[in-house]
Amino acid sequence: MKDILERLEAKRAAAIDGGGTKRRANQHAKGKLTARERIELLLDEGSFEEFDMFVEHRCADFGMQDNKVPGDGVVTGWGTVNGRVVYVFSKDFTVFGGSLSMAHAEKIVKVQDMALQNGAPCIGIFDAGGARIQEGVDSLAGYAEIFMRNIWASGVIPQISVIMGPCAGGDVYSPAMTDFIFMVRDTSYMYVTGPDVVKTVTNETVTHDELGGARVHAAKSGVVDGAFENDFETLAQMRRLIDFLPLSNKEKPPHWPSFDDPNREDPSLDTLIPDNPNKPYDMKELIEKVADEGDFFEISPDFGKNIVVGFGRLDGSTVGFVANQPMSLAGVLDIDASRKAARFVRFCDAFNIPIVTFVDVPGFLPGLKQEYGGLIKHGAKLLFAYGEATVPKVTVVTRKAYGGAYDVMGSKHLRADINYAWPSAEIAVMGAKGAVEIIFRGEPDKIAERTKEYEDRFANPFVAASRGYLDDVIKPRETRRRIIRALKALKTKEVTRPAKKHDNIPL
Amino acid sequence: MFDKILIANRGEVAVRIIKTARRMGIKTAIVFSEADRDSMAVEMADEAVFIGPAPAAQSYLVIDKIVDAARQTGAQAVHPGFGFLSEKAEFAQRLLDETIVFIGPNPHAITAMGDKIESKKTAAKANISTVPGFIGEIASVKHAVEIAEGIGYPVMIKASAGGGGKGIRVAENRKDVEEGFPAVRAEAKNAFGDDRIFIEKFVVAPRHIEIQVMGDRHGNVIHLFERECSIQRRNQKVIEEAPSPLLDKKTRDAMGAQAVALAQAVGYDSAGTVEFVVSGADKSFYFLEMNTRLQVEHPVTELITGVDLVELMIRVAAGEKLPIAQKDVKINGWAIESRIYAEDPYRNFLPSIGRLKRYQAPEEGRFGPVTVRNDAGVRAGDEISMFYDPMISKLVTHAPTRLEAIDAQAHALDRFLIDGIQDNIPFLGAVMEEETFRSGGFTTGYIKQQFPDGFKGVSPRPEQTRLLAACAGFAQSVQAARARRISGAVNAGEARAEWSVILDGQIQTVTVAPDAQGVRVSVNGAPSAQLVSAWTPGRPVMEGTIDAKPFAVKIAARTEGYRLRLRGISVNAIVTTPRGAALHKLIPEKIPADTSRTIMSPMPGLVVSVDVKPGQEVKTGEGVAVVEAMKMQNIIRVERDGVVAKVHVAAGASVAADEVLVELA
Repeated sequence: MKDILERLEAKRAAAIDGGGTKRRANQHAKGKLTARERIELLLDEGSFEEFDMFVEHRCADFGMQDNKVPGDGVVTGWGTVNGRVVYVFSKDFTVFGGSLSMAHAEKIVKVQDMALQNGAPCIGIFDAGGARIQEGVDSLAGYAEIFMRNIWASGVIPQISVIMGPCAGGDVYSPAMTDFIFMVRDTSYMYVTGPDVVKTVTNETVTHDELGGARVHAAKSGVVDGAFENDFETLAQMRRLIDFLPLSNKEKPPHWPSFDDPNREDPSLDTLIPDNPNKPYDMKELIEKVADEGDFFEISPDFGKNIVVGFGRLDGSTVGFVANQPMSLAGVLDIDASRKAARFVRFCDAFNIPIVTFVDVPGFLPGLKQEYGGLIKHGAKLLFAYGEATVPKVTVVTRKAYGGAYDVMGSKHLRADINYAWPSAEIAVMGAKGAVEIIFRGEPDKIAERTKEYEDRFANPFVAASRGYLDDVIKPRETRRRIIRALKALKTKEVTRPAKKHDNIPL
Repeated sequence: MFDKILIANRGEVAVRIIKTARRMGIKTAIVFSEADRDSMAVEMADEAVFIGPAPAAQSYLVIDKIVDAARQTGAQAVHPGFGFLSEKAEFAQRLLDETIVFIGPNPHAITAMGDKIESKKTAAKANISTVPGFIGEIASVKHAVEIAEGIGYPVMIKASAGGGGKGIRVAENRKDVEEGFPAVRAEAKNAFGDDRIFIEKFVVAPRHIEIQVMGDRHGNVIHLFERECSIQRRNQKVIEEAPSPLLDKKTRDAMGAQAVALAQAVGYDSAGTVEFVVSGADKSFYFLEMNTRLQVEHPVTELITGVDLVELMIRVAAGEKLPIAQKDVKINGWAIESRIYAEDPYRNFLPSIGRLKRYQAPEEGRFGPVTVRNDAGVRAGDEISMFYDPMISKLVTHAPTRLEAIDAQAHALDRFLIDGIQDNIPFLGAVMEEETFRSGGFTTGYIKQQFPDGFKGVSPRPEQTRLLAACAGFAQSVQAARARRISGAVNAGEARAEWSVILDGQIQTVTVAPDAQGVRVSVNGAPSAQLVSAWTPGRPVMEGTIDAKPFAVKIAARTEGYRLRLRGISVNAIVTTPRGAALHKLIPEKIPADTSRTIMSPMPGLVVSVDVKPGQEVKTGEGVAVVEAMKMQNIIRVERDGVVAKVHVAAGASVAADEVLVELA
């Protein structure tokens, strides 16, 4: 027995040694933690239970039969984040560059299956060189098995991908199908084909960072939902994000005791809207002053900045905030903003997270670029997402709610449950000047007078309120209290919609 | 007494006057411009009259509008506050003509003291000491020596047209004059094309000390001692105190007597201030000018004398006799005032305007031996407007001794939170801890000498590092304890007691264990201290006591830990487990990206001009663009030599802070 125990220890030590001291030191020198160190920081201390430590690949080609490392380039298992179960896999760049063999894929699939079966989030940490080329098609089969689990799990358990090193080729599509992707600045990159292939095919010379660095994906492509400075910050923020998320779609959003008074009023919100209707203000101030303790986890802060989305808590429970941002492009809806918000709304709806919408939207962005880019269909995504969402929906119009964008942004007509407006709200087909120029075309001398008339009539929330499109006009300072009350009443909300296999959202 | 007065001012001074008027049972009316429609002063006043657009020249400075407002509201008197019309004799005269009382001195006194040269002549006539000097044609070196010796060394030889440090020399003796006079004359001729020279007494270690006087309409004038206002930046007072750490009783009495004599000489009949320059070397003092109004820094005088100067101004304006005589005025304790400005101390004090997202001032009142007073005219959500002075408030503390008052001020600054715009609180906090300031032995050159390269923040002392580490550990333990109560947990595990706080690369081991009132905290194995604080996540200031000693630290969550601010210190504290700290040690520190290639706008504003083109060579210090903010044109300069690669903005563009203006290759 003693022998066997010793052998076990030796095997374990070999697995934990991974690619060896030198490769680990290399990893550190590049500013990266190792696969196991990352798991340690992601999970509660000592909570990680590793699976399949002794798995080795079965490849017998190209000398691989003599080159085996227990664990085979990925560390998998489960543990807890503040006591709640999560499943994890973390690619080990020090072992075969983290490349994916059939055995490696099987390890990942095992935790994906368990996460799905047991209703707990699955978090993947990527730092790998792609397919194990020696294994050929087996490697591709392995990828596809992982993809399939991503698809099955989508909308059932939260799936999060954290890119902490190279992530290329086959490796990118699993993250792409998860709910959120995060990256580390300067040490990670992500692309389908690398700079060498790009050079060959299109003759463009680009660096890894220009092609798929964190800044590119966080701000330009919108592929990732956030970028952080280093491994430590990234993992700390992943723990923070997980605290906001339900473990599965069978659960209500998590709750913890709030230190913030649900009845807190904030008089400074009464002056948030500037006197000049064309002057921007920071919508994040409203979110931060409404949310518990000012704690707001923003998703995609650098992409489609004209809309702000993210998680906060109200009276201790998670809500999703969606808000137009007047500071950026006047808060207009364009392709990027519509895509970003639509995906967020659908995540919230899938995971029973109530949606709180703050509206200050002048409309959809006009222009060739937008129309050629398919604004019609992208805009429709957000419309569709709001309309199909059956979670509690509370909307507050702070200022402009113009035209079709008014309909889109959680309007009563899309079955929002409670719709409030601030006294500064203007709910209309368009701004007064534009409207008057159409209605009174050919009477240029009367424009000023008519504009005033139109403003008096429509530049306020009372017309909409008189139709019942708004449930109440509230004081800005009481926004937090009113939303919390509304959500309390909506806790038991139940909606049934026509049965269908699934919808056909305009992708 | 008046039934109603009009306040022809705005902001904190308007609020200040309303408070006293209200206590006296006098109704208040106020004027307001477009920018002040929803201001705190307007809300507090019983009535408010709109007087036009935001620029003061079209509102607060228009005498007709103020007079109309007084007529309209039926106010019997007008308090001008400070600034705006407060020292315009024309305004005081006009009110007199309209039979409205001006709560301030009579127009004659304003005129007599309003002109710098005239006032010096008046002062000389009243036997007030003025800076000895000779203004006129100086024929020769011999003449210059005669003058210098008549004045007494050291003297300053100065070009009439001088400026910017050019054409100035200090002469300690005859030889210096013989060499210096021709040199300065040559320099003046070259630099300014004007070789007129004057010679005056050089005041060694100059300090700005002023005497508060108060007169009534029955010929009585008293003084209320001095205020020390030497802590100035670009002739703008920043920190004031009363009394002055320099003066002894003899000098104080002499200065007081001269100030009273001057006031009497011009028939002064309200609150006024006589400014002196005082030599820190021998306490010789010389009259500079008289301010014929309530002074911004009047609260320090009020706190040491217990006199409400605004009340006295109103009473004497109503014709009452001064209710106190000179013998009734005593100095009690020490008062320190900090001017809280909307400016960025880390960026050479550039103005920072905008919305006060958060504004949380320390609680006012008496706390044992300490009094805290905050004269402000803003609330959270208000706008610091580009149209007016960027002062946000005046924080004043009073205590029995100077050092206690300074410490109380520092502690109050620690509790003063402003968010949304930049403020000079870190700078003020740093001064409160600085030894020269604390010793009292400073001059008007203090800020330039202590912060020659501007303010860069200060490093924590060892005990401050321990305090910051303890606060970070405590914050983390509060967060962690709550996180353990999240729904759906299967395994809460044991609460962690030991945290690693990384401050400036150094690991501080902090243990936090609950006890009856708060927690016991130990840093790096030192004997534990009891920390009591009601802080909860989301609060921007952690206030409490450590072993019964009060502290306040500003705290904001960061991606991994907290940003902590205390006095002039601003640090990022990484808070992690000991294992996390060990891992941190394995990873090389990331070198921040090189930003010297980009030239950014240091503040939001309007681009007035862009002065470079792509391809153009630029030298360090060369201006590349002009950005206007708060009516100030700021030249944006390059910090290294290079070639312009790209120009991102054009004249007329509005830019945000940190927006890239020009990129170098």
